[in-house]
Amino acid sequence: MHLTEEEKKVALEQTGNILESYSRERGNLIPILQQVQEKLGYVPLVAMEEVARHLGMPPVDVYSVATFYNQFRLIPPGKHQIKVCMGTACHMKGGNIILDCWKRRLSIDVNQVTPDREFSLERVACVGCCTMAPVTVIDEEVHGRVTPTRVDGLLFSFGVKIPKGQQKEGEAIGRE
Amino acid sequence: MKTVTLTIDGRAVQAREGEKLLRVALENGIYIPNLCAIPGVKHPAAACRLCFVEIEGYPRPVTACTEPVVEGMVVSTRSPRVDRLVSTAFELLLSNHRLDCATCPRNRSCELQRIARERRFPLRVKRLRKLERNLPLDDSSPVLRYDPNRCVLCGRCVWVCREKGTGVLGFAGRGFERKVTTFGDVPLGQSGCNGCGECTRVCPVGALTGKEV
Amino acid sequence: MTEIFEKLQQKSRAVWQSLRDRPLILVGTATCGRAAGALEILKVIKEELVKHGIDAQVLEVGCMGHCYAEPLVTVYKPGFPPISYGYVTAGIAGRLVEDFLAGDDPCLEFALAALEANDMVPALTDFPRGMIERPIILDKCGLIDPEQIEHYIALGGYAALATALAREPGWVVEEIKASGLRGRGGAGFPTGRKWETCRLAPGEEKYVICNADEGDPGAFMDRAILESNPHEVLEGLAIAAYTVGARRGYFYIRAEYPLAVERVKKAIEQARRAGLLGTNILGSGFSFDVDVFQGSGAFVCGEETALIASMEGEPGLPRHRPPFPATAGLRGRPTVINNVKTLAYVPHIIERGAQWFRETGTAGSPGTAVFALAGKVINTGLAEVPMGTTLRQLVYDVGSGIPKGKSFKAVQIGGPSGGCLPEAALDMPIDFDSLSQAGAMMGSGGMVILDEDDCMVEIARFFLDFTQKESCGKCTMCRLGTRQMLDILEAITKGQGRPGDIELLLELAEDVKSGSLCGLGKTAPNPVLSTIRYFRDEYEAHIKERRCPALMCRELIAYYILPEKCERSCDACVGSCPVEAIYPNEDRIKVIDQQKCVKCASCLEACPPQYKAVIKLSPPELVAERGATNRG
Repeated sequence: MHLTEEEKKVALEQTGNILESYSRERGNLIPILQQVQEKLGYVPLVAMEEVARHLGMPPVDVYSVATFYNQFRLIPPGKHQIKVCMGTACHMKGGNIILDCWKRRLSIDVNQVTPDREFSLERVACVGCCTMAPVTVIDEEVHGRVTPTRVDGLLFSFGVKIPKGQQKEGEAIGRE
Repeated sequence: MKTVTLTIDGRAVQAREGEKLLRVALENGIYIPNLCAIPGVKHPAAACRLCFVEIEGYPRPVTACTEPVVEGMVVSTRSPRVDRLVSTAFELLLSNHRLDCATCPRNRSCELQRIARERRFPLRVKRLRKLERNLPLDDSSPVLRYDPNRCVLCGRCVWVCREKGTGVLGFAGRGFERKVTTFGDVPLGQSGCNGCGECTRVCPVGALTGKEV
Repeated sequence: MTEIFEKLQQKSRAVWQSLRDRPLILVGTATCGRAAGALEILKVIKEELVKHGIDAQVLEVGCMGHCYAEPLVTVYKPGFPPISYGYVTAGIAGRLVEDFLAGDDPCLEFALAALEANDMVPALTDFPRGMIERPIILDKCGLIDPEQIEHYIALGGYAALATALAREPGWVVEEIKASGLRGRGGAGFPTGRKWETCRLAPGEEKYVICNADEGDPGAFMDRAILESNPHEVLEGLAIAAYTVGARRGYFYIRAEYPLAVERVKKAIEQARRAGLLGTNILGSGFSFDVDVFQGSGAFVCGEETALIASMEGEPGLPRHRPPFPATAGLRGRPTVINNVKTLAYVPHIIERGAQWFRETGTAGSPGTAVFALAGKVINTGLAEVPMGTTLRQLVYDVGSGIPKGKSFKAVQIGGPSGGCLPEAALDMPIDFDSLSQAGAMMGSGGMVILDEDDCMVEIARFFLDFTQKESCGKCTMCRLGTRQMLDILEAITKGQGRPGDIELLLELAEDVKSGSLCGLGKTAPNPVLSTIRYFRDEYEAHIKERRCPALMCRELIAYYILPEKCERSCDACVGSCPVEAIYPNEDRIKVIDQQKCVKCASCLEACPPQYKAVIKLSPPELVAERGATNRG
């Protein structure tokens, strides 16, 4: 996915600000990447290069870390981030059915963003709310005991109206 | 440093104390299958899981690359348990390796072929399912060719690229998706690689090979 | 030193006492409470108090472990025993203020239990669950405000640190060794020995780390403790640091636990201000400070060497051990890494003695175990019980059994590294050793109860899918071995299993177990091995008959509406179907278009219980047989 010049500029600026408060120890790499993601919502390649320069390490090693951990997103997320819990308890209570519902309604796969950049879909391992299974987290808010109808209801609360049989159109963005 | 005497497959061998067993065996002409071991590296990767041996007094086979030699150590490089572990690790690697030896530039000089010959393993996937990844071939460099589908993730190229090259190679991804790549997965030709070719000399298989000039 | 601490205690006790002067309302706002709407309840209570002009204190507290009944509210009113209310709605919250606080009706119809024995309301200890539970590390959870250090200190907190600081570090090691405390992260390694190794390891610079990278799907006790009583763990960490000679410590917490991160950070800040962290703690000459490091979502980082790698700015790849972290850990320095729960026991052991700790539990596994009950059990939540409690007590007394009158099938214990135990194991006393003998593992204490509707092959597939995705990819056995096993399991759950697959799974499982580099790979095959050991017949039904006996594997079942039971005038199923696969036939009997059906079970749930017309069939070919009969 290509970033606009504006997006690149913002990313560089923000990363620069963050780096000012960190010493050049490699042990700071993950906290720095977390800060970048908190500010930008993702960790673009331009930011990684900046971080590599600051810490004096090969850029590919920063890439290595960013692609290893689940937390780091390499593309901008949707305005609303939908995280479907796939922990044991959620699985037992139909977590995959709920994930399927989100995929079907948004017409995107996991780790993708809707074409209008409104929603992104992720699966998370376990948010520790096993007793509320199945759980979906939307923008840090935990929703428990989700059902297929509830998925529609939640989308409706974000202003998405999905008449039966119709789904969001356009091409999804992101890796498989 | 102190010199110790140990026995490998019934042969008395002398070595510096603390030296890794795999190194000692190989230096004494005793072959133990290995891919990821790099001489002189402080922390052995212990990733390929091929160098299992039995050591007297140990409850189960251990990797020779991680085991420092001590005085009086008694080692055998073969046992039913060792053979079983090594053959499984080897077949697992084959199941994820593009097996087209006939067209591979490393045919007859490939480490996998050597292991198969030494341990009498078949060079094909028998019990397991093929796990091909169908990653694109990188032909962008004027002097190198990189076929990730042949890569066994030993890490030798990543190491040598740092020691002698420009440090553009690294690992990315996790688990089954782990691969050797460049920053942002850009083709080697645009990665800042200077084409020194050191990686092709350490690659044990046909993943990184030189182009004929 | 004693003087400084006594002053602190006096001040804290005064704060705690002042809570008792007027009515006090506790609202559980840990993550599970919040998910159930606790913040809304909190707001309602505050508004109602203002409306009725009642002078009462409202506190946000952590989790009492009764997660099934969230949101949970506890009311202290002078003249009444403290009473907890469960399943609190805005309406109930309003009535508690109006009827109980403004009036004198304790609204017993909503009461869960009293917290103390009394003549008015049954107490927690009067229920089977309360009789079995023996809270040590959960004792203050849900009763104190985790963001007020004074509450913790008033109830005896940090006294153990003061005690430890007044003695030699060697004494602490001996005390912990004598207590027989074993690591609660899963493997059960003796904590005292770990500390001793680190203490004796040469080096000026040493570290202690609290491992709160609780990644087991289905486990949430570490989160609950950090959210409910972070000081207890912080105190344990400080005692560990004093013992091994570390001046710096870390909390390694998963980024998925934002509230835990926030509360731990606050706890550290408060402890610093109280002089319980920082330079010259309580005038003892010992200096120690703590930082929080947030994990980035990699299960493998629960493994010590991978955790260290991530703190050093590397991908979380485990390293070969030895050397063990206790001699060469973070930045190559001696490092003690302990689980949240392990550290939480430490202050209790120091305060009450090793002998006291050994009085609970079994000889080989002293103390208690904290389990997170989830899955098909009525009372989900956290329970702290003595080691040696039987599974039956946990499932039936603590958990109140299986919901909806279904029958128990198995319990998955220990998460992805553990295994499934069948009904025959229900009377086994559980501790570290008995579990590993039975082919499971204590793990970190996740316990998922499975009923007749759960397919054991699918459970094994689920856990292997998890470990396979979380495998770091470094070593061949785990990266490719778990992938091969997963492929076989997936084929089986789709009805594409081949004869010999079970044997191949067993062979691979053995080799991955003995040939992997780290604990993740070495334990990943456990769910597969234990389900084959106890439920081999289910594997065979999938392979030989393409049938899922539990009617769970989606590719091997079909939903079917019994024409004789379908109520023609009811359209509940039609409306519930997310893909418009259900239509009425010419007799207005509903029929499922099997091509369109996504097997989401919505229709089965929507069909009113008086009809029960929707059923599942396996193998799916049975639908065709039935369909033919109907039309004929």
